[in-house]
Amino acid sequence: MRRFSIRSIFISLIVSVMIVLLLQIFLQFDLVTSSAGSTVLNINANSTHSANAVTSVVTYFRGFDTLGEVTILFLSIFGISLGLDGYRDKFNIFAYENSLLKIAVDTLFPLIVLFGVYVIVHGHLSPGGGFQGGVIIASAFLLMFLAKSNDFSLKHNILELAESLSGAGFILLGVLSILILNRFLGNFLPLGEVGKLFSGGVIPLIYIFVSIKVSAEITSLVEYFIRIKDVK
Amino acid sequence: MIGLIILAIFITLIVLAIAIIQNDDLPHSVVLFMGFGLGSVILYFLFSAPDVALTEAVIGTGVSGVVFLVTLLQIRSKEIKK
Repeated sequence: MRRFSIRSIFISLIVSVMIVLLLQIFLQFDLVTSSAGSTVLNINANSTHSANAVTSVVTYFRGFDTLGEVTILFLSIFGISLGLDGYRDKFNIFAYENSLLKIAVDTLFPLIVLFGVYVIVHGHLSPGGGFQGGVIIASAFLLMFLAKSNDFSLKHNILELAESLSGAGFILLGVLSILILNRFLGNFLPLGEVGKLFSGGVIPLIYIFVSIKVSAEITSLVEYFIRIKDVK
Repeated sequence: MIGLIILAIFITLIVLAIAIIQNDDLPHSVVLFMGFGLGSVILYFLFSAPDVALTEAVIGTGVSGVVFLVTLLQIRSKEIKK
């Protein structure tokens, strides 16, 4: 008979207890069939002063979920960096040089970054927001990787610093809200007029932090995939 | 009119999905996948979900296609070296 180690029995015990707890939590909820959309729109029009209702759902009503999503993205990039770390700082996979793309990218790079910043800053007024704008900025860096094969390299210190500082800023906003309003990720800033750039209270700040984090993470993801170990 | 456009995009998406699965050439399949993402962007926009459309345009059409293509290129270069 095969002997089981104490550790595996312990782990399986913990997992089964967690599954039972999870099932109890799931079975407590009833299936709500009525629509919540109009209620959410009414609350949004009265309380948050942001023109885009989707943004206020993502960052205000469900701000804690957004924190979880950002954490999931960070963990997946962390796993990729663990797997592909030996391939870092090596040669670019696109070894050929396209001179037309190389000249055009110098003009296109600031324009794409500017568009990304526009999408981020107007996240509470128009469609878009932190996640989309962050990925647009990362796609500008992707274009740089494609056009300038080995001439372009990122400073990893600045990237990691930006990513960790923005994540800390997101949590700091939540903790400040606990100190002021006694709830996590509440709105403690003055709401402006609906439709103005400086309005919506804490929503644009959260989206700016999310966008810095997402752009740093997606840029490092693209770099991990595009550098290859030994092509000569 | 708009219903006809939505119907046409739906049929195109189904045809594209079958073509993606049945294709033997993997880079060809990735390009078709990016086309599938473009069709679903138009569909999301017509169903008045512009936030989802923007996310799909950036992630589904841009970054994921590039990641697929680069992975294929890396696998090819290792196969050639062996």
